[in-house]
Amino acid sequence: MTMVVPTAYYVLLAATLFTMGALGVMIRRNALILFMSVELMLNSANLALVAFAQARQDVGGQVLVFFVMVVAAAEVAVGLALLVAIFQSRQTTDVDDISTLRG
Amino acid sequence: MRAVLYSGYSPNELRTAIVVATYAFIGLFFVAAATFPLLPLIAARFLRPSRPTPIKLDTYECGLEALGDIRVQFKIQYYLFALAFVIFDVEVVFLYPWAVAFGQLGLFALVEMAIFLAILGFGLMYAWKKGALEWQ
Amino acid sequence: MELVVFILTALIALFGAGAMLISRNAVHSALFLLLNFGAIAVLYLLLQAPFLFVTQLIIYAGAIIVLFLFVVMLLGAERDDQETDRLAWQRPVALVMAGLLLAEVVYVFTSGVNIGAINAPAVADFASPEAVATALFTRYLFPFEVTSIILLAAVIGVVVLSRRATHDHAAVATQATDLTQLSERR
Repeated sequence: MTMVVPTAYYVLLAATLFTMGALGVMIRRNALILFMSVELMLNSANLALVAFAQARQDVGGQVLVFFVMVVAAAEVAVGLALLVAIFQSRQTTDVDDISTLRG
Repeated sequence: MRAVLYSGYSPNELRTAIVVATYAFIGLFFVAAATFPLLPLIAARFLRPSRPTPIKLDTYECGLEALGDIRVQFKIQYYLFALAFVIFDVEVVFLYPWAVAFGQLGLFALVEMAIFLAILGFGLMYAWKKGALEWQ
Repeated sequence: MELVVFILTALIALFGAGAMLISRNAVHSALFLLLNFGAIAVLYLLLQAPFLFVTQLIIYAGAIIVLFLFVVMLLGAERDDQETDRLAWQRPVALVMAGLLLAEVVYVFTSGVNIGAINAPAVADFASPEAVATALFTRYLFPFEVTSIILLAAVIGVVVLSRRATHDHAAVATQATDLTQLSERR
């Protein structure tokens, strides 16, 4: 009855989710969706970490996931604050419109 | 469970099975919680008479006529409150394992957590001092 | 049984991620991302990490998605109908590159390393909240304290950014009115 899922399945799922996140960063131009795609990539990395932690029966991988979550929260907070600041002066969330530095 | 115990699986597989069995209740609750509101909504869709008029489709606003757009910009200051929530949410997540293992870890963990909270408290003090928590 | 749960959850996770990418409305994107995070939380349960399951829900679903939705509401920018790509050729290139990346990763994990070989013998009470806490507060003590610095940096960064934003906005506004007055005077 209990069919155990091989670690490789989790890793393949994590790889697929990571690729989707990378694709989102490349094809979408809305900065909000860009941030969401980055979150998706971080999450897929977390999934792989937890899968390996289970395979090795080592809790270190799970602790690392904690730190990744904290970094993700901090990153989103600062990133969205930047986005709000840009939106206030530019009225846009399109990353192609924010090209002043390109001259 | 007994059948699983006698069937020659490794302890690791067994533990996973136990975790899944324990949390299957949460899944069941989730399914129940989803069906409870969805069922009347779907039933109502098929049972109700549908004769829409523009007045019926209008937004209900205490009998007054609706003014303006629903998409209004909120004040930017709300963001600071949302941020404070996120930071302290993360902090609380660290407090849970600390509280669970406090009996084993003792005084050392207390000092560690005191430093952690002091550093975060410094952030709160900074925000307070800069007037980020005051409503303008 | 476990495999069935895994496959269902994995499909939900993939659907959430795909719908998040395609959706034109930022609110819908955020909600599909929430679906994806929830599915990943269930996978954590399958991987014997009940504590991470709860943490995932508290931090990602409870805090990060709320922050996203908050900013969408704040900006009133949920609809993005006229998203035009100025470098339109990038889109097919991105698709090809993503396909390459996926193929590469799959190749590495199916031929390069033998993941099945690292299965360690089961440890009693692996990853119970106590075990996670003991590791967190002894072996990973320094990273733990550093996370508080990261959070502190985030608080200071956001306070500085949002204060400067409002100030600059006011400054730009007064400057703009000055300019219009100037042109009127001319």
